[in-house]
Amino acid sequence: MSRTAHRLIGPEEPLWAPHHPEADPVSLHTLGFWLYMMSDALIFAALFAAYAVLDHPYNAAGGPQISDVVHPVAAFIQTVIIFTSVFAYSLAMVGLKAGNRAFVIGGLVAAVLLGAAFLGLELRDFAVLIAEGATPDRSGLLSVFFVLVATHGIHMVFGILWMLVMIVQVAMKGFTTAVVTRLLNLRIFWMFQASIWVCVFVFVYLNGAYR
Amino acid sequence: MSLHRADPLDHPDVRNASGIAFVAGYAASVGLMAIALMVTLRHEMSYVRFVIAVAILGGLALLAQAVLMFRLDLSGGQRWKTISLLLVVPLFVLSIGLTGWMFHTLYPRTMLDFMQVQGSGM
Amino acid sequence: MLVHLQGAWNPWLGRLTLSQIPYHSPIVLGAFAFALLAAAPIVGLMTYYQKWGYLIREWITTLDHKKIGVMYIIIGLVMLLRGFIDGIMIRTQQLLADGPRSAAHLQAVHGYLPPFHFDQIYSSHGTIMIIFAVTVVLTGFQNIIVPLQIGARDMAFPYLNAVSLWLTAAGAALVMISLFIGDFSHAGWVGIVPLTELPYSPGVGVDYWDWALQLSSLGTTLGALNLITTIIMMRAPGMRWFRMPFFTWATLSTQTIGLTAFPVLGVALALLSCDRYLGTHFYTAGLGGNLMLYTDLFWIWGHPEVYFIILPAWGIMSEVIPTFSEKALFGYTVMVAATLSIAGLSWAVWLHHFFTMGAGPGVNLVFSVSTMLVGIPTGVKVFNWSLTLYRGRLRFETPMLWAIGALFLLLVGGLTGMMLAIPAINYTVHNSVFVVAHFHTMFLVSVFGIFAGLMYWFPKVFGFRLDERSGRRFFTFFSLGTVFVFAAMYTLGLMGMTRRLDYLYNPHWQALLIIQEFGIFLYCVSVFYFCKMIYVSIRDRAKEAHGQDVWRTSRTLEWMTLTPVPFYNFAVIPVVHGRDAWAMRRDSGLTATSPGDYEDINLPNNTIVPAMLGALAFGFGFGMVWRIWWLAGLSLLGIIGLVILRSFADDRGFTLTAATVRRMERNHEDTGIVTDHISPPVAELALFQ
Repeated sequence: MSRTAHRLIGPEEPLWAPHHPEADPVSLHTLGFWLYMMSDALIFAALFAAYAVLDHPYNAAGGPQISDVVHPVAAFIQTVIIFTSVFAYSLAMVGLKAGNRAFVIGGLVAAVLLGAAFLGLELRDFAVLIAEGATPDRSGLLSVFFVLVATHGIHMVFGILWMLVMIVQVAMKGFTTAVVTRLLNLRIFWMFQASIWVCVFVFVYLNGAYR
Repeated sequence: MSLHRADPLDHPDVRNASGIAFVAGYAASVGLMAIALMVTLRHEMSYVRFVIAVAILGGLALLAQAVLMFRLDLSGGQRWKTISLLLVVPLFVLSIGLTGWMFHTLYPRTMLDFMQVQGSGM
Repeated sequence: MLVHLQGAWNPWLGRLTLSQIPYHSPIVLGAFAFALLAAAPIVGLMTYYQKWGYLIREWITTLDHKKIGVMYIIIGLVMLLRGFIDGIMIRTQQLLADGPRSAAHLQAVHGYLPPFHFDQIYSSHGTIMIIFAVTVVLTGFQNIIVPLQIGARDMAFPYLNAVSLWLTAAGAALVMISLFIGDFSHAGWVGIVPLTELPYSPGVGVDYWDWALQLSSLGTTLGALNLITTIIMMRAPGMRWFRMPFFTWATLSTQTIGLTAFPVLGVALALLSCDRYLGTHFYTAGLGGNLMLYTDLFWIWGHPEVYFIILPAWGIMSEVIPTFSEKALFGYTVMVAATLSIAGLSWAVWLHHFFTMGAGPGVNLVFSVSTMLVGIPTGVKVFNWSLTLYRGRLRFETPMLWAIGALFLLLVGGLTGMMLAIPAINYTVHNSVFVVAHFHTMFLVSVFGIFAGLMYWFPKVFGFRLDERSGRRFFTFFSLGTVFVFAAMYTLGLMGMTRRLDYLYNPHWQALLIIQEFGIFLYCVSVFYFCKMIYVSIRDRAKEAHGQDVWRTSRTLEWMTLTPVPFYNFAVIPVVHGRDAWAMRRDSGLTATSPGDYEDINLPNNTIVPAMLGALAFGFGFGMVWRIWWLAGLSLLGIIGLVILRSFADDRGFTLTAATVRRMERNHEDTGIVTDHISPPVAELALFQ
């Protein structure tokens, strides 16, 4: 018998928890997904660290400086569009609270269209730069500019794909636990894109234009 | 063990959706970014003051989004999300800040000495 | 935008040609023969006993955290053996290639390995040992033990858990296949830039290394969020934070690091991939690249990764030492604080890996001090373990031997670490084998911890003990091998021998190299005893079978379940009344495993999807390595399509009725991990019925 440093369990204390409820699946999944987004945030932390290092006149390698490639007003239009897309998704969440399917689908469709508009502007921006010869392989500075912005863009693409799937699932299945959980996770994902864009807008577009 | 049969629409994460908060979060984000754009276009501050100004504006926009859009608070449902976010923020500061500082001291001590070091984007 | 490559490429096979299979190299041929020899009996026996269906139904498709953990550990041990063989080859080459008059064998000028081959071997040795052996085995332990310790039926996300496993397996498979098709990286496990850049490494070796790391690091990140969510949300009633077993705390700290650090590795590697595939200039020597950026990003991940590896081993020590001292862990709260502070500090020390890069003295000073700060919580731990031992009723069974061995190694590794934390000393010994000896000592703390855990928890998972006699011999020879190899290596480091040398110019090192080789021989003997231990234990398993609590003095909740653990873990979830819940119950005379009153249990069905995702991830990695764009593209589309498809399936899970649970609890035969007679069906099979 080991030496006891702890109290003994009395006869009146319950030893078992029969029918102990499982952890609530919605809370479980949203917390898990939130943690995933925290790790996603660290991806951007590393990219911003790389940007901080490569955002030096030396890294332009004689090519265009950052102030030559960013257009703060155009980026502000993108900013407003992505914020509005997130806002549309948020309104869909108000519809979800009321259990209104049409409202949710409408909000998702609006968010998809605005997200696509954002991506369209970004792609046009990229196309113009590439046509001018400011390609990602021109210099370290342009490499990090393109990769940082495109990483955010790829997140947007997956967000739009996910929203398209959710539109189908809401229409097909209604608000089952799984569908509601996914809508809540997608809300985290989509809003997160706006938050990352705030950092991109401020530290890449505005900061770059001020040089 | 019993399966959860509660209506998912009663979950606090669904209930915390609020039209007013979302409108406020949207307006705050757009407004703060508009101010940041104005500050940039007027081009009146020194570079360091500009960076501090837009960083504060961006930080406020992120705070507005965290509170008004993500609806983060210390309630039972959101507690761990808030805590994990608060634990991750220092990692942002450490990884970007210390990296920037390291390279800032590295440049004058290596071949990049002849370049004009004009703040390495920090 | 794609980089123009020199050499052959065709749209169907990419860069893959028959000449990429190194059949002309006798060493690779030998490795291939060895792999065949090892695999043939396994495949033969599986076919003879018609176990393929069992393998797929019960293991490949399983979502059971214990089976997933066992598969992690098997992958890890296989990779550990592979890494060990690489180690033998490195040591032997350096022994043979010492001095200008050293003999030449095979195609080499000195020793028996040409430089390019030698470089691949030390690169794969490091990559395998760190990423695919130690990390993977420890992840396996955390998978198996944490849900049991906190009184949960499974992980928070059993499906995601399987996905993590198969992503890791895909990464390991990429490393293994690089042995037989093409080359592996020759740029060190850290990937020295700009050597990893395309002009200097035009082959596929660096790509293999890159994608293998990328896949397994994704698996680790997903596993991390799973374990953290499990610990936060799935604890049994009464299991408050400061009642959690210490290993669970260690896991929480570890996985916090895993969740936050691995994405940085992903970025460091992704930017390198951009350089190699898209021609960008992140780390190039010209055109605005900054090769120091890679080193910086890599070690932002790299140092937390060190603690990712060491913390679970400390967690294991903190379970083993109290059990075999028959005392509670000394200073539990302080230990928790120490573990969490090490996890926090791990983010502010990475620069000590490159003090010599030339950052300003202020920067080096800050990182030097923060590194030394880690010594405080580590020292606290050493004292707490010692005080747990102090006046304990010590029993030196094999797990305890390994734990004590780890404690001594930690002293050596920790103190040399403090030396290296001083920039002035670091400048002198940087890049010498002194550093190599230091970090090997630290990794061996993990390895000793791993073997302590293996001996300690094996009976819990499989229902029989490992053979004590060969276990002791295994420990003895392994420890002696460690002493001979690394005492000599520390000395060689101080004598000025640098790392990664395929040829040693100084004949005076010969004596110490022979001592090292003797140590390697002792390691080989220990591997023999390890195999013998496994063989004897399986042969005599009926004799060594035992009940729920094999050590009789263990303290935590995992020992409360039936042995072997049924796939639902706990028939009824227990209520926890304090720290060391099982010891409390035992001392109160309450050792019954279940209350006699059962209930229906719902668990997820088995599914083949995670294994398919792993296979597609492997296809993606292989396609990217060889630039077979259709394969990579189709695999990626397959992954996305499969994930979407599965999100449409409504899996109601598998319900085990109370009557079945009663029968299984009364009749232990049905519950074993190897001999499951009842387990969740494979969901996809329903499609064919």
